[in-house]
Parts: sequence; C-alpha cells; structure tokens
Amino acid sequence: MELEISYLNTILIFAIFALSLNLLLGYAGQVSVAHAAFGAVGGYAVAYLFLEHGVGLLPGMVIAMIVSAAIGLVVGIPALRLSTEFLILLTLAVQTIIITLVTTSSAFGGTYGLQNVAGFTLFGQDLLLPSDFLPLFIVLTVLVYLVVRRMGESPYGRVLRGIREDEVACRSLGKNVFSYKLTVFAVTAAMAGLAGAMLVTQNQLASPSLFSFDQSTAIVAMVILGGTGNLLGSILGATVLVLLTPFFQNVLNFTPEKASLWRLVAYGVVLVVVMLVRPQGILPEGTTPITLVKRLLRRGPAAGEPTQSAAPDVRVPEQVNRGALVDPASIDLDEDAHALTELAHHGALPDTVVSAGRTGEIVLKVEGLTKRFGGITAAENLNLELRRGTITALVGPNGAGKTTVFNLLTGAIRPDTGRVTLHGNDISGMRPDQVANAGMVRSFQDVRVFPRLSSLQNVLLAIQGQPGESAAGLFLRPAATAKVERESRAKALEWLSFVGMEAYAEVPAGALAFGQQKLVALARVLATEADVVLLDEPASGIDQQWVEVMLGLIEQLRDKGRTICIVEHNLHVVGRLADHTYFMELGRITAQGSFEELTGEKRLAEAYFGTA
Amino acid sequence: MSDLTLDNFLQLTVAGIVSGSAYALLGVAFGLILSVTGRFHFAFTFTYTISAYIAAEVGQQYGLPLWLALIVGALVGAVFGVLFERVVYRPLAEKSGAYALLVIFVASLGLAIIGRNLIALVWIDTASLQITGFTNAGYNIGPVTLTKLGIVQVIVAWILILALGAVLSYTGLGRIVRAVRVNPEMSLVVGVDPKTVYLAVFAIGSFFGGVAAVLNATQTAASPDMGFNPLFYAFVVAFLAGLGRHPVVVGLVGLFLGLIESWSALFMSTQWTSLVVFGILFIYVALRPVQLRGMLRRPTPATA
Repeated sequence: MELEISYLNTILIFAIFALSLNLLLGYAGQVSVAHAAFGAVGGYAVAYLFLEHGVGLLPGMVIAMIVSAAIGLVVGIPALRLSTEFLILLTLAVQTIIITLVTTSSAFGGTYGLQNVAGFTLFGQDLLLPSDFLPLFIVLTVLVYLVVRRMGESPYGRVLRGIREDEVACRSLGKNVFSYKLTVFAVTAAMAGLAGAMLVTQNQLASPSLFSFDQSTAIVAMVILGGTGNLLGSILGATVLVLLTPFFQNVLNFTPEKASLWRLVAYGVVLVVVMLVRPQGILPEGTTPITLVKRLLRRGPAAGEPTQSAAPDVRVPEQVNRGALVDPASIDLDEDAHALTELAHHGALPDTVVSAGRTGEIVLKVEGLTKRFGGITAAENLNLELRRGTITALVGPNGAGKTTVFNLLTGAIRPDTGRVTLHGNDISGMRPDQVANAGMVRSFQDVRVFPRLSSLQNVLLAIQGQPGESAAGLFLRPAATAKVERESRAKALEWLSFVGMEAYAEVPAGALAFGQQKLVALARVLATEADVVLLDEPASGIDQQWVEVMLGLIEQLRDKGRTICIVEHNLHVVGRLADHTYFMELGRITAQGSFEELTGEKRLAEAYFGTA
Repeated sequence: MSDLTLDNFLQLTVAGIVSGSAYALLGVAFGLILSVTGRFHFAFTFTYTISAYIAAEVGQQYGLPLWLALIVGALVGAVFGVLFERVVYRPLAEKSGAYALLVIFVASLGLAIIGRNLIALVWIDTASLQITGFTNAGYNIGPVTLTKLGIVQVIVAWILILALGAVLSYTGLGRIVRAVRVNPEMSLVVGVDPKTVYLAVFAIGSFFGGVAAVLNATQTAASPDMGFNPLFYAFVVAFLAGLGRHPVVVGLVGLFLGLIESWSALFMSTQWTSLVVFGILFIYVALRPVQLRGMLRRPTPATA
C-alpha cells in the first residue's frame, strides 16, 4: 500500500512541476528546460536548512520558494530580451549551472547529495511513510492548482496568452510585458521550488540526479502530452508519465536499470509522436471535461470531423487549422455571447467614447524628431501636429519613413533627438506601453491580431482599467475582478459590434479573413479608448466592401472628437478622409496642406500622385 | 588551479587551442544547420554520439584504421541527420507554420532522448567504448607538451572549417546555400529547391559533428551522454558569433572560447572552469545592447 501511495505522492509532486511549467510555457509562451533545476534550488534549500539549522518543514518550504523565486528573477531578467531559440539556450545553461554547482560543492554533498533528510514533523506528527506526507501533498497540489488556474484562466492569463501570441501588439495596448514576464518567471520558479522540496522530503534525499536535465525534459513532456495551455492536461500528463515507471518494472518486469532507460525512451517518443500527430496534446487549450462531453454528445456519430462553426464564412488558414498547439475544433461558441450581442447596438459607436476638449485644438505636437540608423536617416527634423476631431494623413512613396514615424511616436523606436508632447506632456523616451497608457495607440500594417485568441479576447485585451490584469487585483480584489470582467466583456462586444464583427466574437482571430482581421484590430485599438489613434494603412490589402466599412467607421470616430492619424497609400482613401496631409520623402516632410493643395502641386503630382 | 607562470600559461594556451578548435568545428556545424534551416536541431547530440559509437565498433570489429573508422562513423551521423530532417522536421515545418520553431525543438528534444537511451540500452553491458588504434604520443617543445592527437584534432578541425568557408564563398553551391539561408521562398523562384539544400546542410553539419565526436572519443571514450556538452558549446559559439556568419569567423569565436576557458584554470579550480563559458554567455546576454530577436528567419504567416 505504501508503495502505491508513494507513486501517488510522486504524481502530485510532478503535477505541481507540470502545472507551473504550463503557466510559463503554455500560457506565457516562455520555453524553459530548467524547471527541474528550480526544483533543485527548493529541494536543496529545504534539506540544507533542515540538516544544518534544524529548520522545520513548512518554514523550510516557504524559504525554498523564496530562494527559487529569487533565482527565477535572476534568470528572468536576461530572458526578457530573448527570442525562443535563445531562451532555450539560456535555460539549458541555467539547468547545467545549477546542477554543476550542487554537484561540485562539498556543502551540498557532491554527487551523493544531502542524505538522511528524514525526521520532519508536522503539527506534532512524525512524517516518515509516504502516507504521512499524502494529506500535506494533496493540500499543496490543490493550492498550486487553484493559484495557477486563477492566474491562467482570468484577465491576467489573457494578457499572458497575448504575450505568447505577440509581444509587440501586447505592448502597443499598454501592457507592461516585462513585468508580466518577470512575475511569471518568479512565480513558476517558486512553485517548482516547492515541488522540489516535496520531492526531497519524500525521498529523504537531495541529490543531483533527482533534478537532472532528464527530469526537466520529463516535465516538458508532461505539459506537451497533456496539452499546453490546459491545466487538467498537465495533471493528466504527470499521471501518465509517472506511472510509466511501475508499468515497466511491474507489468513488463524490466530490471530497474532497463526500466529507467525505457521510461526515458518513452518520454522521447511522447514528445515526437505528440508533435507529429496531435501537437495540441490530449486536452487542447480551452477544453474542459464539460466541453469535451458536450462536443461528443453534440457530434454524435460524426465525431472526428471538425465542428461546424456557427459563424458564417470563416476561412481557416493552414497554420491556424492544422498548426500547432491549438485545435480549431475546440472552438465553442458561447451562447451567452450571442445573447449579449443582441443587446449591443449595431454599428453605433459605444457611448463610453466622449472626448472632452474642443475640436481643432492641438493634441499631439512633434518637434524636431530625428532618427538615424547608421548612415541612413529614417526621420529628419520632423515637425507635425495632430488636432482633435480631425484626420491627419501621412503620404509619400514607399520607404519615405511613414511607418517609422509611428514607431517613433509610440516609443517602439527611440528618437535620437526631438520632442513629442501629448496633451502638453512630454512623452518622448517612453516605452510603447507607457505611450499607450498616456492615450495614444497605434494599429499595425500587418494587423498583428492575436491569432489563437478569439476576436472577443483580442478586444478584451485592449479594455483599460481591469483589476484582474494585475496579480494583486486578481487575488486581493476578486469581487471587483469578476464585476469588471463582466463589464469589460460587454464593452468588448459593443466594440466588436461597432465594427460589425460580433458574430465572430468566439472565433480565433487567426481564422478570419484578412479584412475581418483588420476590423478586429480596429476594434482593439478603439477599445483602448485612447484619445489619439494612429492607423497604419487601415484600408490596404482588403476588399472594396471592407474599405467602405472601414472608412465609415473612421469618419464616425472623427466626428466623436478623436484625434486620428493615418498612413495610407490609397489616394482615394486619403482624399476622402484627410483634413490635413503631410507629404514625406526620404525621412523628411517636404510638403503639407489639404489633399487638394498637395495634388495640385506640379512636382508632387508628377512624382507621386501620377497624373491624377 | 595552476600557478600563474609563463610555462603554465603556454601549456594552457596549447590546451585551449586544442579544445577551442573542437568548439570551433562544433559551432560551425551546428550554426550552419541552425542558420540555414532555422531548425532547432537538439538531436545533434544523437548524431554526434552515434558517430563515435559506430567508429569504435567498426574499428574494433573489423579492425578498420582510425581514419577510415572516423569517416564511417561521421557518415552514419550524417545519414541520421538527413533522416531526421526528411522524416520528422520537414513534415512538422510544413504543417505548423508560424509555430514551427517550438514544435521542431520539442520533437528534436524527443529524438535526442530516444537516441541517448537507445544507445544506452544497446550498449548496456559496455561500460565505456574506447576508440583504439591511435598512439597518444607526446612531443616536448621547450616547456610545452603537445600530443599527436591534439595536433590531429586542430588540423582536421581547421581543414574542415576552411574547406566549408571556401565552398560557401567561392562556389556555386555555396551561393545556393547562402541564397536559401537569406530567403528560401525566393530561392525557389530562381530554381533552387530549399528542401534539397536543407538535406545537404544537415548532412554536412552532422558529418562535421561526427568527426568532432570520433576525435573526442579517441581521447576519452564514447558514452551515451557525450553529446550534451558539445551541443551546448556548439550553440554558444554559434550564438556568440552570430547566426549566418562566415565559418572562419565562427571558428575563431570557438577558438577564443576554448582559450578563455583554458586560461581560467590559472585563476580558479579546474572543476569550475566549465562554468566560465556559462558566465560568458550570461554576461553577453545581459549586456548586449540590442534585443536579440529576429536573428532567426521566421516563416512568415500567410496573410490575406
């Protein structure tokens, strides 16, 4: 019996490892192959404190988590600037360093580790047998599950998924991506530290082999097998892979040595086969037992075919459909969403948008903005003004630096010299998220919707003032979090219905046609309720019918007193929308005036506007 | 720790050149694969290790001379590299689009684990597999001792690196490889099939890795875990040099890394010197002014 319970304990421990890695990998999209090493930090901390200083189990575990979190932060800081392939390299290095350190230092017992970590008591009871640990381990695992669930399946988790999908877009909506990443690194490292502490107390031993690279890959395999972004999947994955050991030893009667090698082979096979056959894992993101049963019932004999999406005309491009890690069949239209949609006004601008201030006043002022890349001048002494309730257009040939202007204004690129003032406040040198929070938001030429998030979630990420988007609000203000979330959903639906996309609220944005993605992206920009809106080629690359829709929407915005700047190649669009036009060539503004004045200039007409 | 004397310094310099040349070869091999194909080929550990095992086996069983065993071993490594690309990576890349990097990494990690443990299972009764047939004679030049094996390692590594550099710079084949590295879609337009080039790159990279493995196992012995550190060094060298740089540049970075690591023995206990490389990596990552993104070409998600 004790043997079975020890397997159960091990499952609980690895469930914590897998759940926390899933928050990091599945939700936030940060790959780590050092998770076992963070476990080593916690495990060795508990063992060392107990053996050397007689620190008890619970205080030891708390200290273990703090130490692990601190090391998680140390790793997290350089990791902030890395793309996936180098993050893998960095975590590989961390795994090796930590294990090398504990293996080579005599204080930690070298290769043999710290032994006889036994004799813990809890509330006056001796903890010796696996069954003594079981109640504690169940409580800890449930706690970790609840925390991870709260962080993952909430507005906070939505931001994490946004970061996973597109950091740049996330930042442009005012999210401090750095602080989110750091928090997640620290929290998941702390949880791994806790799991490591549990592993050490259960084995009465802290040794390097408990936390080897093989263990790190085993944890990755658990998350991948269960399904990234699905917490129940992680528990399932941990259960299956932990039980491989007794399976090989007791069912197939392998020697322990052979069994452990075959177990590792099985981990590898799991990774390869899951990637080839079902990259989204056993339980895809967004699937719960309830949705699973529902879908099976609804489908009946046709199970196996993709579900018919209730929204019409959904084109599912290759990479979303067959692509990794998400199963479009798991898209489940939420009935509530439709009910809410009915209530929303069609095509009308939500009432929340009331711009204070007088039409025509200068909202954004740019003075002497200059940026050079090496020998190339991308922007030379730019001066421009955006006025409330007007549409300003930037036009000019390809490579004139129009998009660079947007990048400079929103902090994506730092100007060499020059000043940008928004509502009289100097915003030059601010990060993109700070600029967004100051009230200026941009769209992107290549839309940058979050492809695996639904249209509704795309827009929800833009709604400001959500307490549930901060870790503190999430745990300390649950009532406010729930209330604001309901309000935010209603608002987001209003914005979707403003752009006519409410029927697609639950469809992943990546599955929409390009024109539809542009509308969702517009709804997203507007939902920030930013005063100044920079639209990069809002009408390019989309069908004529969408162009009309788009222009109508932009005009409505202007009439509500927003300040709008567009970069556009389509002269028909500029002619219809622009109140004021700047003409750019080779990083300079060479002419300005009304569109008619510019097209009337002989030189420009020949060089750019053609004979029009 | 070695005392800080000129003799020690010279001896460590020689050791650093030998190990650095091995890092150079690995960095060139792995960097070629990573920069041209964009595949995070973790299973480089396996093609590396199997080369050493095969070379040792054919050397012992059939009494092949070392140079022939080396070629056979490295060729087997190349075959596995090509096989992985053809059977696993390419299908994955075709179906996972924008997420290919992560998907291929996970699958490659899986291949590496499978390979490592199958090797351990196949050679379960073999404690360590020595590659024989090489007298490890030493030569004394003044205060410095050179080994014959060390000299061979350096010469072989740099012949391969220079040869690859020459092929990439001066031949039509090299132009094709560079074209595919910069833009595979466009290269298709001008009649170059990137798929074939990818296979060739996997063959060359795995062969180079295999050569390094056999030479390494001649010095010590083959073991199932022997591929892990080389992969790491290869990655660090490719990373520090910058992806897509000329093989000679990559090679010099590897050499530099070997020297730094070796010289650090003057200042610290030898069991810590392996951490020096990690230290360099960390400092580099932490202090590098620009964001390290976009160094790998990514599949562009289809729009419209």
